Amino acid sequence: MVTLEFHDPSGAIEVKQPHASRIASLEGKRIGFVSNEQWQAYRMLPRLKALLEADFPGIEVLPIDAFPQGNAVIGSEETAALVKESGVDAVIIGNAA
Amino acid sequence: MTNAVAGVGLAPDAAMVTFPIEMFLPGSDISPVETRKREFYDGLTRWRSAFACDGAGEAPMIRVQGTSVEDTFTRANHLMLANRWGDGLPLWPPTRERADWILGGAAQPRGRRLGTFPPRGGVTTVESCAIALAMAGGRPEYLPVLVAVVAAFLDAASGSEQLQAASGSAFPVVIVNGPIGAQIRLNAGFGCLGPDPQRPAGASIGRALRLLQQNLGGALPGIGTMANYGGMRYTNVVFAEDEANLPSGWTPHGTERHGFAPGTSSISLAFANGVTNIRRRGAKKETPEEDALQGMHRMADFMRVPNMPGLSGYERGTPGILMIPGVVAQTMAGLGWTKASIREFLWEHSKIPVAELRRAGCPAWIEIDASKVTRESIALDPWPITVSPDNFVIVVAGGGHPTNSYWLQGYSPGVVGRPIELPSSFERLLADADRDLGPR
Repeated sequence: MVTLEFHDPSGAIEVKQPHASRIASLEGKRIGFVSNEQWQAYRMLPRLKALLEADFPGIEVLPIDAFPQGNAVIGSEETAALVKESGVDAVIIGNAA
Repeated sequence: MTNAVAGVGLAPDAAMVTFPIEMFLPGSDISPVETRKREFYDGLTRWRSAFACDGAGEAPMIRVQGTSVEDTFTRANHLMLANRWGDGLPLWPPTRERADWILGGAAQPRGRRLGTFPPRGGVTTVESCAIALAMAGGRPEYLPVLVAVVAAFLDAASGSEQLQAASGSAFPVVIVNGPIGAQIRLNAGFGCLGPDPQRPAGASIGRALRLLQQNLGGALPGIGTMANYGGMRYTNVVFAEDEANLPSGWTPHGTERHGFAPGTSSISLAFANGVTNIRRRGAKKETPEEDALQGMHRMADFMRVPNMPGLSGYERGTPGILMIPGVVAQTMAGLGWTKASIREFLWEHSKIPVAELRRAGCPAWIEIDASKVTRESIALDPWPITVSPDNFVIVVAGGGHPTNSYWLQGYSPGVVGRPIELPSSFERLLADADRDLGPR
């Protein structure tokens, strides 16, 4: 038998921080959207907002334009700071952003 | 998407609700948002990452056994394809011996960290480059170029994080200046963007970069890169400027764009998404002046197009890379043209009337661009395809024939340069190459 041993070329990745913990339930929570304004986000995200408001008593879903929109700005530290300041319990990011 | 998540240091998964592309198109049926609403709710409440937060892990060595050298080599290639580590062409298995041989060209320690490769975030070291170069059929004397290229690629100013994943089929273009081009047999002349057994360095270096883009960066077609077409990606584009044929008074690209002293071995990295051959020479009884001017108009006409991906480089990048053969450069220089005056001409004559932009729906793209300078450019009529003539990259390359020039259409937020650091063993490596490949 001939044996060939070689490096795995995919290397290593670093997991530096955990994902945000999930919320226990959506009732009475404050939810935001961060939108890139593309890929039909202007239709799909309002539909999702309406569904959340219909299904969960006391939920507050912020308007789609509560935070800056567009690929050029949604990844910025400024947008992240605005999301934190808003006091939301969770955010949904869309579309294909 | 999981690449992007991993790239910012989170575990390589995310709470996502995915739909077929049809739902994201204008006029689509979006009722699945309602029928699958529970998945959104679960993503906010019940989802858990499958990965622990445990820092970086070392990839193990792979072991393959076969009944013969031929069989083992074949099995190794099959395994690499099955693991999505290849490009479909035969690969050299990156054995410890081969990777160590390549590392003989390293000017830095093998473990020197160059960064993390976007978007997946694979930890990138000098050794990672050597492994990729080993797979790509490279040689040690190519490694200094690849390391410099990777350093430029990982510079955020290159825009590589976006371009790795984007649908616009960007491919890296590497221009090498200085003596290292000829020393390592990097083509600057005939066929410099294609295969050449006499000057094979560009193919290996570019292929190694592509393998890094996939294996560390996660840019697999349809998974990590949504490039519709992915042209030029087998080897990317790696060539040397034909400095021996630069007209008197014309400065090398590395000096002009990045300020490197003439004679410095350096690389310059940009991205393009198209290649066009332009027959610039006249056909009948043109005077030299007419031949030059008509050729210039023909080149500008090829550039006068609504290349919306190019907006990302409108302010600081480049609308593209124009390659002209040395014999053409020298003729034009004899007529008084300089790189600067060529740029000025191209900038002026590639402007697009705003009415044409509006007809094609371009203002919507210009208005949402991240750059204020780009957004405000819509007030200009005719609209220049880049904010300044200085953004055009002009290089002399392509062999001693006057008929054609080549336009690499830009999709390049930046043009990033790096000097090339050489190992103390470099002269010996060149002697080894002469021994192995024959005299230069």
